[in-house]
Formats: sequence, C-alpha cells, structure tokens
Amino acid sequence: MGSRALLLLRGITIRADHGISFSLQRSSFGKDFIGKRRRVRNYSIRSGLEPPDVLRLAETARISLTPDEVEEFAPKIQKVVDWFGQLQAVDLQSIEPAIRADTEGDNLRDDLPETFENGQAMIAAVPSYEEPYIKVPKVLNKE
Amino acid sequence: MLSSAQTPRFLLLHSRFPHKLLHFQTPKSLHTFQTQAQILSPSPPTSQILTIRESLLSRSTTAVELASNYLHHLRRTEPHLNSFLHISDTVLKEAEEIDRKIQNNEEVGPLAGVLVGVKDNICTVDMPSTAGSRALENYRPPFDATAVRKLRECGAIVVGKTNLDEFGMGSTTEGSAYQVTANPWDLSRVPGGSSGGSAAAVSARQCIVSLGSDTGGSVRQPASFCGVVGLKPTYGRVSRYGLVAYASSLDVIGCFGSSVADTGILLNVISGHDRHDATSSKREVPNFTFQSISPDSIESKPLRGLRVGIIRETLQEGVDSEVISSIRDAASHLEELGCSLTEVSLPSFSLGLPAYYILATSESSSNLSRYDGVRYGNQAVADVLNSLYGDSRAKGLGSEVKMRILMGTYALSAGYYDAYYKRAQKVRTLVQKSFKTALDENDILISPAAPSAAYKIGEKKSDPLAMYAGDIMTVNINLAGLPALVLPCGLVQGGSAGLPVGIQMIGAAFDEEKLLKVGHIFEQTLQGCCFVPPLVADGFAC
Repeated sequence: MGSRALLLLRGITIRADHGISFSLQRSSFGKDFIGKRRRVRNYSIRSGLEPPDVLRLAETARISLTPDEVEEFAPKIQKVVDWFGQLQAVDLQSIEPAIRADTEGDNLRDDLPETFENGQAMIAAVPSYEEPYIKVPKVLNKE
Repeated sequence: MLSSAQTPRFLLLHSRFPHKLLHFQTPKSLHTFQTQAQILSPSPPTSQILTIRESLLSRSTTAVELASNYLHHLRRTEPHLNSFLHISDTVLKEAEEIDRKIQNNEEVGPLAGVLVGVKDNICTVDMPSTAGSRALENYRPPFDATAVRKLRECGAIVVGKTNLDEFGMGSTTEGSAYQVTANPWDLSRVPGGSSGGSAAAVSARQCIVSLGSDTGGSVRQPASFCGVVGLKPTYGRVSRYGLVAYASSLDVIGCFGSSVADTGILLNVISGHDRHDATSSKREVPNFTFQSISPDSIESKPLRGLRVGIIRETLQEGVDSEVISSIRDAASHLEELGCSLTEVSLPSFSLGLPAYYILATSESSSNLSRYDGVRYGNQAVADVLNSLYGDSRAKGLGSEVKMRILMGTYALSAGYYDAYYKRAQKVRTLVQKSFKTALDENDILISPAAPSAAYKIGEKKSDPLAMYAGDIMTVNINLAGLPALVLPCGLVQGGSAGLPVGIQMIGAAFDEEKLLKVGHIFEQTLQGCCFVPPLVADGFAC
C-alpha cells in the first residue's frame, strides 16, 4: 500500500514528464503546470537558489549533528526540497499570500502584562537556576 | 451497498459475541459489559457518554465501578497496543469524588465519570506532557491546556496521556521517542498518526473518548486507520492554549469517539473563545449534541436536499482501489438517504501537499526553537552557550523532527523566502478559494481520509516522501482551516477481520453542526457494519 500512496507524488514529480498527472490532468491549470516540469528541475540553479547545505542549516538551527546524521539527512532533505521546488513552476503572480486559515478576522487582545499564577512551577522546571537568575554557560568564546 | 469484506465480519460478530459476553459478565462489571454489548452488537453505535450519564444518575452503576473496569481492560490490552505514555494514578480518586457528589444529589457535569485519553502534546498540570519527545522527558507543565481544563470542569477524568509522533510530526506514531503504538485491528500495522495513541485507545475501548491534535490530518487519518470517529474542528473553534505548537497557523485540537454523538458532545465541551488564544473565535458555540435518530428512518430520506460534492481528485490513480470503492459505496448510501451527489474538482488539490509541508516545516523551525534546554526539558552539559543549545537539541530531538526543522530553516533562509514560504502561502490562497467555490455549490464535500487503509509498521519509515504522500487527503483542509469529520464507512482486506476505511466529510468554516448531523444519520443507517477491532470483539482475550 505504501508504494500506491507514492503514486500520488509520482503523479506530479516523475510521471509528469509523460504528461500524466494525478489530479491535475483535466485542468488547463494542470497542463500548464505539467508543461513546465522539465524546467522545474533546474529552477534552483537558474534562480540562484543553492541546494541545502545540511551542516550550515544545522548551525543556523542550533542542532549539533553527528557526521552519520549529516550523511543520512542530506539526501532525504535534498529530495524533499526538490519536491518543494515544483511550486516554482506554478504561475502565482496575481495571487495574494494567505498567512493563516482566514476563518476569522483579527481578534487580538490588548497587549497588557499579567501575572501567571503558577510561576513557581515554571521556575522549578528550569534545569539550572540560581536565584534570581537562569544560569547558562559563558556566551562568548575567549578567542 | 456492502462490500464482500464486510459481510463475513458481520456474521462473525453475530455468532461469537454472545458466549464471550457471558464469559466476562460478572455482577461487578455488569455496566461496562452492557456498554460493550451495545458496541459489539451489529446495531449502530450509541453515545457512550450519554449511556454512562444515565447509568450514573439512575444509580445503576458507580463511577468507581466504571473506572475500575476500564482500567482493568486498559492494563490487559496496553502491553499489546502501547497507546499510552502515561496512565493517571488518580482515576479512582476522581471517580470516588463523582460518586460522592451523586450520592449527595449534587450537580455533576455532562462528562461526569467519562474517561478521556489526552494526546501527550496537550498540557496537563498533574501529569507528564512529553509531546513524544525526549526533549520534554519528565516535563510537567505548570498549567492545564484550556481544552483539558474544560473537560475536567465538566467532570471528565483524564485517564492518561496518549502516544504520538514526536511533536505531531508523522503519520504513523512510529516517530514517538518512547514506543510504537499498534493498530487494534492488526497489531502488525500502524494506527496512523500523529494522534495514533488517541485513536487506538478509543478503538480498543481503553477509554471512552480522547483528544488529539490535527495539523495536517493527525486526527482524521488515525481515525480512519483505527475505525473510530475523528473530528477536526474549524481553525479557531477550540483554543490552542496548552497545545504544544507545531505549525501554529494549522494546528487544531480535535476529538475521537466511538460514535458521532460522542465526538459532538466532546466538541461542545472544549469549544469557545479563550483569552489565552487570540486565534480562538468569539463566535457563539452552537449545541453540537443532538437527538438520536432511529436507524429505520432511512426510508424517510432524512438527508433530502443535502448537496454533497465528491472530490474527483481524491479518487484517482494512487488511491487504493478498495478505498475508492468504499467511498463510492458510502456516497451511494448518502444518495439513498436523500442527498444529491455531484462530482467536484479542486484544481489546486495536489499543490496543497508541497505547500503544506513548506508551511508546516517553516513554522516548526520557528516554534521548536524554544527547545534549547535553558528554561525546561533536558539540558546537555556544555561549556559555552551555543554548545548547550546545539547539544541539548541534538540529544532531545529525533531524526524526523531535526529534518523538518532543517527543511524549514532552508525554506526560510534569506533570499529563499519568496521562492518557498511565500509561494506556499499563495497556494494556500488558491486552496482556500477552491474550497470556498465548492462549498458555495455544495453543503458538504466528501473524500477518503487516507489513500489506503493502515499499512505495516516499518513500511514507510525510511522514506519521508512516501509517508508525506499519505497526507494528500487531509492537508488541504488544514490550509483552508475548515472542519472535517471522519467516520468509518467500510472494511477492506487485511488483518484477521478486515481493516477499516474512513470517509471524510468537509464542511464550511464553523459548520461542524451540519457535519455532525450528517455523520450521525450516516452512521445510524449504515447497515451491517460493526467497527469493533478483533482485540475487543474477541472478548479481551489477549
């Protein structure tokens, strides 16, 4: 059953080259999309988008990865990012982005500070605490 | 109407249930097994919550007796299922308190004595809340999530915390840092995810109802895999306060039950505006509880005039053929009930999947930056701050979570934002518009809840794209923020007794009431189907 589900992806990634696409084949929107598939693969190169550099991303995200993890993650992340790339081929010029579900309008409360009742429990959860500070190792290296 | 897979199951239950019932029936446990009898008979599912209420108020059972029976069953089944990460040690004490109130003729809430499982990414003040991650091992939040607080105020007893894919990131529950949950229909299969523990627990009758969360289908797909009812409310209907954030623009808390009525009652309790969540809606909450209809009212075409759109893109290549025929059968059943059925097309449907994953990973890379080992959770030993962050995160987070954070970090990198995140948001606009058009012309839309029934444990573990593909049926609904109800509609080949398939009913924003009504009538009139897994139907013999 797993391979069957994968067809859903193949429909737009691999099989699209043959002009067959899951779910989009009957719409002109889809045809337009499929027609551009060949170019999508090179989109990141043409547009100057670098492929993911896992070590650099890990440093940005502050996650120390082992060499084995870098080796394991790199092809998987590359594969998913390539798959993300299909959106580059869709004409979205005139479309406004939606930042949320938009089921309801803005509903923001006043930005006023208030006291959280169980503050002591929060403090108790801090792994390294010296009244009244949260303790961390030094922030700067000597060099 | 019935597929060939369904009929033998029906007969099987007929023939083997009565003596199993006798075998386990003791005066002490009478109530529970009356309840089980209702579940196990081929008659439609009834509200367990209402049955319990009636039994407690008429003094035919006590909350302690009920809780003891469920705990006993939970402990026997749990070694096979691993649905729970933590089981409460105050269940009986809380039950005693309810019995005391009933004895004194004091008012008790609508969920008095109802055992609820809570997904472990929803905060509970007196229990661990790990979100399935080592990063939060032993973490005990200083507050209850609003949904949990409301449950408790209505008399519900939180029986324990259910297993999940770490931070809700997964579709199988294999991504938990602690244990793999099995599907009660076939222990070699996944229960779905990420709310797999909550779905398996209700399916195996380890608790009466449960809470899950749904960012891209995490309530609906496991409901389908485990043969239970799962409801994803409209974004904003239920407060997210106390829900461990994964992708805040998509996350919602949802409900599981063994009947549509029970999920409606549960939704009623947890809905409404909350000052702690600015995205929770101020709209009035309608009454989601309703009068039960009699199963024989099918003749009266109770859904006459209801316009149902079946989504063409969800019944094409790549979807299991048995799933397609189950959904087509379910659509015919809706027609028999008086609905008018048309096929609708959502042209942006397949674009929703990559758009969803861009948005969800991007938001997660931001949301999960809080797990740095400084304020709570596990802290690594390090001599400089950056190593403390990096090592705490490396030790605390699992592979899938790390990869999603890295993908999101990539998509949000300077200069890439327009190419990924913004484009995904534009696709979200397309998805919202196409649903709006389809729901202007139809009262509800229907589709499968997943492209297949439950698959084997380990089958998709090493290939993230294969697992992501399974979310195609559900992610678009999160992008649009719409409510959707999944309920079992058929069985396909697999396991010893078949595997359940769920139909997804999608409604307009804040129109859960219609979904619940249609779902209830559908469920009450579906002939010959009984969605009780072998684990339970075999008389707890495990």
